[in-house]
Amino acid sequence: MLEVLFIGLSLGSILLLVALGLAITYGAMGVINMAHGEMVMVGAYVTVLSGIWLGTNIFVAIPLAFIVTALLGLLIERVVVRRLYGRLLDTLLATWGIAILIQQAVRLEFGLSFLGIHLQGLGPGLQNVAVPPFLQGTFSILGADINRYRTFIILVTAILALVTWFIIYRTSMGTQVRAIIRNPRMAAACGIDVTRINALTFAFGSGLAGVAGVMMSGFKTVFPDMGTSMVVDGFLVVVMGGVGSLLGSVLSAGILGEINGLVAAATNDILARAVVFGVVIAIIVLKPKGLFALKGR
Amino acid sequence: MPMKRKIDWAIYAAFVVLVMLLPLVMDAFWLNRVAKYLVYGMLGVAVALSWGYAGILNLGQGLFFGAGAYMLAMSLKLASTTSLQQGSDKPVPDFMLWNAEPGAPTELCCINKASFLWLPFQSQWFGVAMGLILPVLLATILGTIVFRKRISGVFVSIITLALVLLVRLVVIDSQPVTNGFNGLTDLGWFNVAGLEFDPYIVPTYYLVAVSLSLVLVGTRLLIDTRSGLILQAVRDDQNRARYLGFDVPAYQTFFFAVSAAIAGFAGMLYVIVSEFASPTFMDLTFSITMVVWAAVGGRASILGACIGAILINTISATVSETEGFAEAWKAIIGLIFVLVVLYLPRGLAGLAHDFIDRLLARKPTASPQALPVSETSSQLAE
Repeated sequence: MLEVLFIGLSLGSILLLVALGLAITYGAMGVINMAHGEMVMVGAYVTVLSGIWLGTNIFVAIPLAFIVTALLGLLIERVVVRRLYGRLLDTLLATWGIAILIQQAVRLEFGLSFLGIHLQGLGPGLQNVAVPPFLQGTFSILGADINRYRTFIILVTAILALVTWFIIYRTSMGTQVRAIIRNPRMAAACGIDVTRINALTFAFGSGLAGVAGVMMSGFKTVFPDMGTSMVVDGFLVVVMGGVGSLLGSVLSAGILGEINGLVAAATNDILARAVVFGVVIAIIVLKPKGLFALKGR
Repeated sequence: MPMKRKIDWAIYAAFVVLVMLLPLVMDAFWLNRVAKYLVYGMLGVAVALSWGYAGILNLGQGLFFGAGAYMLAMSLKLASTTSLQQGSDKPVPDFMLWNAEPGAPTELCCINKASFLWLPFQSQWFGVAMGLILPVLLATILGTIVFRKRISGVFVSIITLALVLLVRLVVIDSQPVTNGFNGLTDLGWFNVAGLEFDPYIVPTYYLVAVSLSLVLVGTRLLIDTRSGLILQAVRDDQNRARYLGFDVPAYQTFFFAVSAAIAGFAGMLYVIVSEFASPTFMDLTFSITMVVWAAVGGRASILGACIGAILINTISATVSETEGFAEAWKAIIGLIFVLVVLYLPRGLAGLAHDFIDRLLARKPTASPQALPVSETSSQLAE
């Protein structure tokens, strides 16, 4: 039983890892970033490439992936998303286009494959990342075998969630972000540089996705399409938790993870995912604002 | 009839004539391909109706497409020669036999626990009827719940998206009844009074072409009716329509169901043309791709969305012939999509409308004073 609960916790932490960034970009900026999954993918590829070309392990890849994806996010915000504030569904569509572009950039090795140049670690194939030995295998607590790498993911997720909480609730930038969540125009009237804060928020959310990608690369195969399903899961978590509520996202990720783990133990993985979708639909229908909604003003 | 309306209908007529004349210049292989794209065009119509006119961005249109496809595919699977050769008087799908428990009877009623669900599908017309009934039923139930609870905008999109993925997983998991990941392949031909619709013959093309034309014109007429106009009022301002006394959820649900019926119909035609049904119809990517087609063609134009779908797919097919360019084309599609959302929110149809407006403004067809009079008289005549 303990093992099942642990698997659930680990699944929940993976959901949260992807959802954290979305909670910020969607909650604070009203942007449905369908390219978020591709940020995760880019983060995973940063791990692959740094492993191959720099010979470093995933600990070096974490800050590297954060920087790369944050810059990419900044670029996307500057070029596309900035023009679409207030058009929620259009952000969904435009970022879907961006998602395809990023996927194809990786698959075509930034176009170099047309010139016959191939970069090791890119391209349409599958990539794998070697996890450092001390994160491999299991250890046992109370007679239950606990996977080390999954424990590592839970720790990293907890740290990231705390860092995000600190930034949003304990720094002046976070105060400005929260003001924008409540009412962007009023925030602007109070002298908050909404454009600048939005750009930074988007970059930060993207950076979090990049770190999520590093974590993913350790136990999932890395390939150009890997982000597509993640972004959906992430959105379900955010919407279920309540837009703009960090705590809501944390709790709903935990709940969905445990449901997934328990149902999977009782039946199979496919049905477990189906049940998770069913629960989310039921909650959105019953409480469209989510479990822990903020009141907008 | 105002000039603009006349032009509008003339463009519809031109499109229909063009589609009807294609068999004169194309071989069977390309006709089959184009028939598929016409089916996609029909999906474009479904998306434009629910998105452009009802204001409901359905990110799970694949659910209705898939429902229609599977219903007819079940009937056609039973009509295939392999199903008939399974050592039983009645046809049994081959995959059921491969996965049957040892000693299970080779009968459709009881080869596995759920195979009896297939029994009525021995009649092809039951499959056809279900291909429309199931999507409409699903849409009506979903619409009633969602719209009565006044859920709108992005939440509807997320619910529909989660629902299509949920159903996809259930279909994959129900391997004994649906053949799971593999879907239903090796289907028989659709058969009307002895005429077999082999996908590579001209009558099959016309089956699709005529269906599309009817759906196009029917939908165009539908949005001009009183309920169509009320629907657009709902889209523009739900609360105002509600205060004016209209039963908002009823209109939304009705048009949502019509859109579902069109998608289900498209699913059936697709099965006839392509001879398979698979869970990929309910992939997230496919449902969003439909929206892309509609957005490029013009989300608020029935014909625009239809042409958008046909155009993108035809260009894709032509371009993909070149080795290695297929992947680059996908990237170009992504780029086009970003550009359309940013700079051309009304799509190609929007461009066409502006062009026509400019033409009409330049060409003085009637004296400025005579025009309003003729308009009022035409309104009186209606």
